[in-house]
Amino acid sequence: MGKIRLIGRLVRRDLRRHPGPAVLLVLAITAATATLTLGLVLRGVTDQPYQQTRAATNGPDVAAMIFGFSPLSTAPGNGPPKQVPINHAQIEAEVRTLTHAPGVTGHSGPYPVASVALRYRGLVAPVEAEGRAQAPASIEQPKVITGTWVRPGGVVLERTFAEALGASVGDRVTLDGRPYQVVGIAVTAAGLPYPNMCYYPGGNCVYDLQDNAIPSDASNGFAWVTEAGARSLGSAKAPLSYFLNLKLRNPATAPAFANRYGNKASFTVPTLIPWQAIQTGSGLLVQDEQSVLSPGAWLAGLLAIASVAVLAGGRMAERIRRVGLLKAVGATPGTVALVLLAENLTLALIAAAAGLAIGWGTAPLVASPGAALVGTPGAPAVTLQIVAEVVAVALVVALVSTLVPAIRGARTSTVSALADTARPPRRRPRMIALSARLPVPLLLGLRLVARRPRRALLSTASVAVTAAGIVAVLAFHTSVHLNGFGESGGLGNPVVDRDEQMLTVLTVVLVALAVLNAVCAAWATVLDARHASALARALGATPPQVTEGIAAAQVLPAVPGALLGIPLGIGLFDVAAQGAGVVVPPAWWLAAAEIGILAAVAVLAAVPARVGARRPVSPILQAETA
Amino acid sequence: MQQEVVLAMLAKEPSHGYQLRARLRQALGPLGEAMNDGQVYVTLTRLEKAGLATSEQSAGLPDRPDRKVYALTAAGQQRVAAWLAEVSWPRPDLAEFHLKLIAAAAAGLADPLSIVDAQRRELLRRLRDAQRAALAEPDGSAAGLLLEGIVLRLQADLHWLEACERNWTPRLTSRKEHR
Amino acid sequence: MNETGAPVLRARGLRKQYGKGEGLVRAVDDVDLEVASGETVAVTGPSGCGKSTLLHLLGGLDRPTAGELWLTGQRLDRLGERALARLRRDKVGFVFQAFHLMDELTAAENVELPALLAGRSARWSRQRARALLEQVGLADRAGFLPSALSGGQRQRVAIARALVSDPQLVLADEPTGNLDSQATIEVLRLLESLHAAGQTVVIVTHDSRIAATADRMISMRDGSFVDETRLTGGSTGSLGTLAGLNGLTE
Repeated sequence: MGKIRLIGRLVRRDLRRHPGPAVLLVLAITAATATLTLGLVLRGVTDQPYQQTRAATNGPDVAAMIFGFSPLSTAPGNGPPKQVPINHAQIEAEVRTLTHAPGVTGHSGPYPVASVALRYRGLVAPVEAEGRAQAPASIEQPKVITGTWVRPGGVVLERTFAEALGASVGDRVTLDGRPYQVVGIAVTAAGLPYPNMCYYPGGNCVYDLQDNAIPSDASNGFAWVTEAGARSLGSAKAPLSYFLNLKLRNPATAPAFANRYGNKASFTVPTLIPWQAIQTGSGLLVQDEQSVLSPGAWLAGLLAIASVAVLAGGRMAERIRRVGLLKAVGATPGTVALVLLAENLTLALIAAAAGLAIGWGTAPLVASPGAALVGTPGAPAVTLQIVAEVVAVALVVALVSTLVPAIRGARTSTVSALADTARPPRRRPRMIALSARLPVPLLLGLRLVARRPRRALLSTASVAVTAAGIVAVLAFHTSVHLNGFGESGGLGNPVVDRDEQMLTVLTVVLVALAVLNAVCAAWATVLDARHASALARALGATPPQVTEGIAAAQVLPAVPGALLGIPLGIGLFDVAAQGAGVVVPPAWWLAAAEIGILAAVAVLAAVPARVGARRPVSPILQAETA
Repeated sequence: MQQEVVLAMLAKEPSHGYQLRARLRQALGPLGEAMNDGQVYVTLTRLEKAGLATSEQSAGLPDRPDRKVYALTAAGQQRVAAWLAEVSWPRPDLAEFHLKLIAAAAAGLADPLSIVDAQRRELLRRLRDAQRAALAEPDGSAAGLLLEGIVLRLQADLHWLEACERNWTPRLTSRKEHR
Repeated sequence: MNETGAPVLRARGLRKQYGKGEGLVRAVDDVDLEVASGETVAVTGPSGCGKSTLLHLLGGLDRPTAGELWLTGQRLDRLGERALARLRRDKVGFVFQAFHLMDELTAAENVELPALLAGRSARWSRQRARALLEQVGLADRAGFLPSALSGGQRQRVAIARALVSDPQLVLADEPTGNLDSQATIEVLRLLESLHAAGQTVVIVTHDSRIAATADRMISMRDGSFVDETRLTGGSTGSLGTLAGLNGLTE
């Protein structure tokens, strides 16, 4: 019992005496655990919402598009293709084939679909308007989220399309010039979120694209009107098509069914889409987010780990000395390890709790399960498994940061541990000779870097990670501009918008972590250089020279890191965007980013350096004589 | 036993032989055990013969040195004053200097501190000379070794004088307490 | 070099205190001091009497709470940090009890450091460092790290470093505090040779041997000077009597 009390007292006293590094450590581990929590929570958010929507709307196993026209083949560039209407009998035959096909247990429709131009507040968008009865259908009844279902003069917009338009219930729109009022907003499991409508034959959908190039034809919005309304919207210029929703005895066979009875390339055979494909496509929105979040989370995690490593290194000398002291008064290696472990464990558990809380709180902001799909799951489930995994990670971090000084301490003799010769600075004759030719701040900076090469390497790595993240974000923005996403007549592109939101959040998190990392590194350097800078000042270096020297010691390793970040970031975006091609942001963006990063490193180092450089020299020098 | 020590003991007031002996015993502490009692009386007799002290027989007491009352003569007082001001350093026994300080304080003849300071100054100068001479000798010379010995002894004596100084400054210690 | 007559260092009413009210500590209390050119002054006293604090004040490493301080005619207590640093660089050389050599630099690299900090070229600094190492008798150890040098050698390197910018004043804080008697003798010889060369030195020490090299010795207690001894001039008694040759020579 007495031992536990003693350990508790030692831990409390130590934390009270050095709150700074303890706070930094907690922040770093919190950042790591928060990002980890977020990633784990979001991993579970893909399939569920689509299933919810499908259940809520009794979505179809196979969605069929039956064309009411076929284009005349015309030479390209001779204006829009002329539509030739397909006669009604053929349409009915196609419907019959499908509804009587083996395995089909039910159907709804065929519903007439008109291709119209919707105008709203100066925006123009092509829309597929499906005509529906006011009474709900048994199969594939879209679920109204706000407002009501169709009525004469009213149009119900699909949710992602409404989001892109910026329209809400009560707004007035025109369909092919005719006035309509938005009476409701609904979701459906029979189609993909805007802008990925892909019933156009020969057109490609995102989910079965090989090279991920989305043609502008795919930006059709989706809406519902009354049957009479749809028929009236049809015209000779744009004849009606028909949607048919099928239920199968065995939903798992939907892809085989679609292959057998459908043909995406033809206008005379219906285009069939199995529900699995829709599910995959719907999940793409979140997958997209995931493809942004995953590498982002890795980057954030790396930065957090780098911060923890720097902090651990910075405290290493003091830790080893403590181990030596404890050994000198007779503590067994076990007790020594216990003391170290107790402190790190406390901090790690506090950080884990904080990280879990932050991750849980921010997940709903990020998790929006694809706006098309029903159900905001509220607070996404932070399952027991997630909690266990996060706490385990925090514990591992605590263990590792205990093990290293404990092992080091056990290996170094008590004498040298006490004498603080356990971690002597490295000597680099060439760096020393080189620095002699440089102006004083660079002289000091280069020598400081040469003393601790491993910490310099860690700095380079951290800056490289940060720069890679920022360059990847720049590459994303560049690709958005290049491919003209989000420029479909002024409408928003929810996919891109969502990605941009994610990236903004991620960039903020990355920058915050990078700042934390820089502060940790600067603190460690100032601490390590205390004696050296006091001596330099005693020998005649002015405080500004010392400040600049410490700042230089941070900037010098940052330069190769920032440069390395450019190819890393471009490669990172290439990997994350899954084949968007190598996108290189414009040169002046890159230059601005590089200069910004290096300037930030310099400033973050200069602030603690300046504080340290103003302190009186005598106490520091005299302390060494004790 | 230096004659001057016994003389100085008489400076405060005349006293019996045995009183003198007791005072000396007390001043020397454990070292006083080794003191030869008879020596004190012999010295007193010698001092009387030399005219530096006088003796009187107490009424009703036998004519023995320990029962007589001794007092300083004028010549004796002069001798004591000169002795107090002397700074030549005695050979290795420290008792004489120690007793000098005690006698000076007891008789109110001089400030012990100034005696100590004067002695310190002198020793420092001698240290300087000896050290210069020692450094001037080539490495490993026999004379250099002897000089080094002198230097080290002087250094040790200076340490002791510093201790004396600390011990004999009551007013400064009280000043420190007020701070 | 200084014009003869004007003191290199002059302090008046120098004071340094810490804390306030009940906890007020006067480390240096109303000190007046004048050091002439070429003079060696020793300041002695028990530990905690404020000698090291005084030395740091004299060298501009610390700011006095009150009082005036002139170094070669320049008023120190009014200067800003930058000017102080330049002054230290060009006019003052420091020797510390703990040597304060950089562990990862060789002797030569340690000695040349103040010159480099003053903006001298690398070549000039290295040449000067070598010359000084020769002057202190360590020319053959120029490429050694401090860990490979004995205590006395390390302090001699530190003294060489203090001399690299040809300072007007050398300040030594317990230079033999961490040394054994053999190493003390090495440093003693060096101090004597500096004295002979006309260097102005102020030494803080509790070693009477070091104090004996000075022209003047000042005793300090509780932050103020209590005594001053001039050590130049003859002494009474011959060396013979000191050695106990009394009986033989008489």
